[in-house]
Amino acid sequence: MDATSYRIILCDGTSCINKGSRKLAAVLREQLDKHGLTDRVTIGLSGCLGMCEKGPIMVVNPGYTIYGSVTENDIPQIVEEHLVNGDPIARLVIQEDHLYNRFFRVFGDAKFFGKQMRITLRNCGIIDPESIDDYLSLRGYEALAKAITDMTPEQVIAEVEKSGLRGRGGAGFPTGRKWKLTAAEKRTPKYVICNADEGDPGAFMDRSAIEGDPHTVVEGMAIGGYAIGAQTGVVYIRAEYPLAIKRIKRAIEDARAHGLLGKNILGSNFSFDIEIRLGAGAFVCGEETALIHSIEGARGMPRPRPPYPAAVGLFGQPTLINNVETWANVPVIILDGANWFRTIGTETSKGTKVFALAGKVVNTGLIEVPMGTTLREIIYDIGGGIPFGKRFKSVQTGGPSGGCLPEQYLDTPIDYESLAKAGSIMGSGGMIVIDEDSCMVDVARFFLEFTQDESCGKCTPCREGTKRMLEILTRITEGKGRPGDIENLERLGGMIKKASLCGLGQSAPNPVLSTIKNFRQEYEEHIHDKKCRAKACKRLVSYEIGEKCVGCGACRRVCPVNAISGSPKSRHLLDQNKCVRCGMCFNTCKFEAIAKV
Amino acid sequence: MPTPLELIKKKRAEAVSRIIGKGYLSTKREYVGMATCEIAAGSKDVMEVFQKAVSRGLTDVYLSQKGCAGRCNLEPTVEVIEAGKSPVKYGRVDKDRAQQIIERHLKNGEIIKEWVID
Repeated sequence: MDATSYRIILCDGTSCINKGSRKLAAVLREQLDKHGLTDRVTIGLSGCLGMCEKGPIMVVNPGYTIYGSVTENDIPQIVEEHLVNGDPIARLVIQEDHLYNRFFRVFGDAKFFGKQMRITLRNCGIIDPESIDDYLSLRGYEALAKAITDMTPEQVIAEVEKSGLRGRGGAGFPTGRKWKLTAAEKRTPKYVICNADEGDPGAFMDRSAIEGDPHTVVEGMAIGGYAIGAQTGVVYIRAEYPLAIKRIKRAIEDARAHGLLGKNILGSNFSFDIEIRLGAGAFVCGEETALIHSIEGARGMPRPRPPYPAAVGLFGQPTLINNVETWANVPVIILDGANWFRTIGTETSKGTKVFALAGKVVNTGLIEVPMGTTLREIIYDIGGGIPFGKRFKSVQTGGPSGGCLPEQYLDTPIDYESLAKAGSIMGSGGMIVIDEDSCMVDVARFFLEFTQDESCGKCTPCREGTKRMLEILTRITEGKGRPGDIENLERLGGMIKKASLCGLGQSAPNPVLSTIKNFRQEYEEHIHDKKCRAKACKRLVSYEIGEKCVGCGACRRVCPVNAISGSPKSRHLLDQNKCVRCGMCFNTCKFEAIAKV
Repeated sequence: MPTPLELIKKKRAEAVSRIIGKGYLSTKREYVGMATCEIAAGSKDVMEVFQKAVSRGLTDVYLSQKGCAGRCNLEPTVEVIEAGKSPVKYGRVDKDRAQQIIERHLKNGEIIKEWVID
């Protein structure tokens, strides 16, 4: 980090806001502008830092200087003396290192964390996930205690509803409404389920969240159980996540030992316990009705809805099912309040979203940003741009159910509606950056191959339709595309979306349809010109040996079909009729003499 | 009869004192990333190096694991927090780097700049 660049964190907890922290930000911006520091100083907000009595709190990093009781009149001095001259102002410094203040340590690497806001991941990478003491020390289980002590179940639901929280599994259904519907059901027993069946290729949000802070999920589920009147919770997690399973198991056992799960939690009348069910790794089991069937011991297949699980769920009983990230938001909403939560995000999507940033980007990582952050900010500011000076081509959100967005959508602010409008979806949080070296037809084929393979086979449109689409796509990438293929893909895709039983089929054509919409020219080049501009489709690439050839013979020896000939120390020749385009010569040549054309 | 809220506050105070009892107030605290991805990148070996050093008498260091810090391409990550100083995060730590972090940073207070994540 540049020695003179600072990151300032203003506490944006309710108490600090009441004491005027919001006004500080405005004055601070004004002062930074006056001193020409806007480029070198970034301002971030944090949730309640737990030092309410000394608010408003301001933290200056690097240096980890915590200022308390900051007023507007202090700002010019802070800017002039600390930010310009590097001298912290002693009279404002709070010399305390509370355990629960630890979490702004994550802001150490300011370039990566500068635009992030960590609510669900607030403890992730901060605490020892296998220590309930660590979690308790950071106000762990206080939200649960607050709900049981001071709130009726109706008030808890009202708070969640007011917060504007929406399902983080992908579809974005208002969480509060789901809770209300389940609470309204008269039949008992009721169940609470945590959907941790994360299956999108390239996605690892839920795994990391559970591995990094399992107690948050446990606490969220217990609050949900209290709100809807359930006594049993089930975490459905895939068996491929052994460490996450171990840690959530440990968390449940520790919580039980502390009287935070089990009979009469914290001496109250509320009893709640959690079991773990392992999934065998079928993608369709992330769909709620298939997941419920799987827990029941039946084959993991979806069924038509309604009735929704809120009415007829696990073992036919009313069931509240939410995703890991949704649950992790609940304790924060109860502790810091819906009013605070509502200040984050956009008009229709409140709070933050976790993304697994992967693909052709410098800083791959697990990130959490406020809704309304643009794709450009994520890819270039947090992700650090595209490596090796390559050109950005597309960003894929929502995994196999989502779409590929080209450059003109980079300034799209992320929320459920704007991503849908752009032709993709929020999804559960997979985000894969694609550069010029990837072929969009091939990318679409990859995702469709996945969904086709994972289709459970119950309904015909999904089972047969995805298979036919995959055949057409494979043909196109092999240079056997025919006129009319694009139209056929569009027609098939439309039918599958309309007629499939569950979300898997209804969204499976999205990667294909969005690439046709945004990269139609690439499809046409494959079909009509038999060309792949990214040189990624093996069958559409041919190899040529150029002038740089020194005649070492390495390519000749490695060629499986003896298509290369030539005598030592003279330029070799490649017989295009014999060549099977396996690319082994290209990978072997040390002299960059072989070119893809 | 204390309310659940009063009980949890008591539990928190107890938890804090237990953590302090484990040496949290040591001059230096050290966190090793131990999520699946970090372990796949080799963080178990790194953790072992630190554990060994502690068992062989490295004092005044509070050693703990932590979950995913989000820096996938820089794993395994190790964080050193010293009272009153800016936290230091090291990236791509292997056994050798871990040993050097012990010798140079933990024992002699030198921040090994070339490995710091900024």
